[in-house]
Amino acid sequence: MQGKIIVVTSGKGGVGKTTATSSIGAALALEGNRVAIVDMDIGLRNLDVVMGLENRIVFNIVDVVLDRCKVEQAAIRDRRIENLFLIPASQSDNKDVLTTAGVERVAKQLRSRFDYIIMDSPAGIERGFENSVVAADEALVICTPDVSAVRDADRVIGLLYARSLNPKLIVNRIEPARVTRGEMLSHDDVMEVLSIDLVGLVPMDEKVLISSNTGAPLVLQNDSKAGAAFRRIARRLNGEEDLPIEMPVYKTSMWQKISKTFGLK
Amino acid sequence: MLSGLLKRFTGKKNSKDAAKKRLQFSLIYDKLEVNDTTLTDLQQDIVDVISKYFEIDKDALELKVKRDDEVSALVFNTPILHVKRKRA
Repeated sequence: MQGKIIVVTSGKGGVGKTTATSSIGAALALEGNRVAIVDMDIGLRNLDVVMGLENRIVFNIVDVVLDRCKVEQAAIRDRRIENLFLIPASQSDNKDVLTTAGVERVAKQLRSRFDYIIMDSPAGIERGFENSVVAADEALVICTPDVSAVRDADRVIGLLYARSLNPKLIVNRIEPARVTRGEMLSHDDVMEVLSIDLVGLVPMDEKVLISSNTGAPLVLQNDSKAGAAFRRIARRLNGEEDLPIEMPVYKTSMWQKISKTFGLK
Repeated sequence: MLSGLLKRFTGKKNSKDAAKKRLQFSLIYDKLEVNDTTLTDLQQDIVDVISKYFEIDKDALELKVKRDDEVSALVFNTPILHVKRKRA
């Protein structure tokens, strides 16, 4: 087995990176892959609670890198989704405890055991970011349609290019009604500003908070629009590159249609 | 519902257009700002290339960032003293 390491980054915090990581990882496992999700946010771990696995932590990624345990001992098996594992971050260590050399060594072990390894990078562009991208084969950049997230995404994209990674973009928390009203950047605007390839569009969805409240996987909720969007992203990453990107519904009112006809816009 | 027409009459623009424009500008500035050495290196490289073809006044040259409403441009200004002859 020679698995693929995908790093999920954003630069800015709070844009939905953790939700995206857990959902894409879970969806890749549902597609029949053996998946490990690795929380690289040392000192501020969150994937465990979001995934509902916080009570089952024994070892963490720092233990693995420092050779205090084996990969198998740190990987928590998700009981709801087959072949899905979480390697949590350490909550007590300093974030500088990991080295890129150490991460690269563990990456080799992970590649031989899993089809996909999804690394959740911490916010920021410091040491934790370096550690998350050092062994990556592919990179995903998450951003929301607001000026600060887009600007930070641009910075991160530049850093990924410098490491010969060709990142793909996910625009998260799109509110179609506000896009229609001209209050929110559309995904086309974001893509034009950042000029990189898109891998998925995720609409704003109240179900995200509800599913993280209970630690239930978002991708298993049949009525979640965001969950469905993440499942499509996973299929695209899993080789179905031609799967069309579903646009969030932009409602146009009768009045807008009339205005458009008369060129009023 | 009438917001589009209202905006047209009042001359109010969509806030997202402002966001896009501000972003496009700030990203360019962010990159130009990177650091002084980048600009100095760039200037040196340009001088080297131009010097292959023209004899230029290296002390009088200037590298500027020109800002416009639509685009930003890198302007390199130098007096040309002589055109170098190509030797066969």
